[in-house]
Amino acid sequence: MLEIDHITFSYGNHKVLDDITFDVAPGEIVAVTGANGAGKTTLLRVLACLLMQDSGGVRLDAVDPLTRPIKYRRGIGYLSEHCPLYSEMTVEEYLTYRVRLKGERNLRVRRRVSETLEQCGLEEAQRTRVRLLSHGYRKRLGLADALVMHPKLLLLDDPLAGLDVPHRKKIAGVLTAASARAAVVLAGHEIHEMLEWCTRFVVLHGGRVVALYRVNDHNKADLARLLECQIASGTAAEGVP
Amino acid sequence: MTAIQVTWLREVRAFRGAFSCCVPVAAFLSVCGWTFVMLLRQHEGSVLQIQSIWGVSVAPWLPILSAVLTMRLFAEERSTGMIDLLMASPIRERDLVIGKFLSAMTVMGLSLALSLVVPMAVLPSLSAPVHGLVRPVAFAATYLILLLQASVWCAAGTMVSVFFRNQAAAAVSSLVLCSGMPVAVYAAILAWIPSVRMEMAWLPLLMHVYDFSTGLFSTAVIALYVTLTVFFLFGCSKLLACLRLRG
Repeated sequence: MLEIDHITFSYGNHKVLDDITFDVAPGEIVAVTGANGAGKTTLLRVLACLLMQDSGGVRLDAVDPLTRPIKYRRGIGYLSEHCPLYSEMTVEEYLTYRVRLKGERNLRVRRRVSETLEQCGLEEAQRTRVRLLSHGYRKRLGLADALVMHPKLLLLDDPLAGLDVPHRKKIAGVLTAASARAAVVLAGHEIHEMLEWCTRFVVLHGGRVVALYRVNDHNKADLARLLECQIASGTAAEGVP
Repeated sequence: MTAIQVTWLREVRAFRGAFSCCVPVAAFLSVCGWTFVMLLRQHEGSVLQIQSIWGVSVAPWLPILSAVLTMRLFAEERSTGMIDLLMASPIRERDLVIGKFLSAMTVMGLSLALSLVVPMAVLPSLSAPVHGLVRPVAFAATYLILLLQASVWCAAGTMVSVFFRNQAAAAVSSLVLCSGMPVAVYAAILAWIPSVRMEMAWLPLLMHVYDFSTGLFSTAVIALYVTLTVFFLFGCSKLLACLRLRG
């Protein structure tokens, strides 16, 4: 579904992504993790067409963003790290605006918005101004925006950062449900939570992939320790599960 | 709804409640009214027609209003980070730019229409021959040339706002571009071809307003303003596309 093929990206002389290669299959939730500055956000920005890689390629269902950018972007939903929103709008107005901007036909807009509000648990906040929302609700609204057009690929940059436990659980539930019809690539540091619902881990260090792990019910405890060590040291461990 | 319509609608709504819209428009109308009255008194007894006085009193303030109206269009999106969500959406940069530009032009068009209030209020108090000469079509022609000039300033301001995250910096830069560039071009023409000094006694921008207000239409002038507007809007969409290269 998503093919990332030897991607390299630099800011000037500083190489931020170096020969990144991995695939994501439908239904997978792939966590991209690593220390600060490892290149997680840059990788997601390249996948979201916000940055253009220096070399290598990305394809989503064989669609190349460089040759067919609109079709590619129609297939993705993106949640930015800082979750920017229009503060003067209400939750419902914001989501309606985003659905219309993404090209949905007028007749379907209301249904899409109400479905997504329900899916993300935002019904009671739908008439609230965005500027009055808590951080948790803002994240949920950002996630609703990413989900609303049922994209094939969800790109989520630090979706759990700064959230309390109930909000984290809610977002985890929404993502698990969304993975039934989309692939999810998310960046984050919350290894223990992500182990519960992610299917694969990609560990970045210095812009390179240093390890790829598949999660199963038997290796979660070992994997948690291994990932923590690896993120701290930035090296690939022996005896990868 | 197309992406252009959606963007236009959102921006017009944002303008409706924005401090950066209501106050500048009110100031613009006040200054235009004051300039109109001053020019009317100055040209008492001359052959200038009332629509020409209106046009000439409004035109110099258009770059300032445009700079203030357009400063937030992209600078605000960049400072809040919304530009990332817009650029990751399945819309063309061109549609985004046109939607935002049209919203600024909507406010500009309304402001120009409102600036007619003072001339309309003053008209009945003028002497009968002047009053009798006033024709709506002459005002419409003046309105057209003012709108064309405003479109150039708005397009330039929209392009400049892509460069900045700070709205004030965008406004100042846009003002420098819109006010400084025509004067510089005019001065350069006069310096290189002094023989045209008589033909270009006024700054061409005011000359265009005067010509249109007196019924002297020129397709070359219309083409010039449309070309400049398209040029700035094209530049703006290309600049947005360049943001993808290096964020």
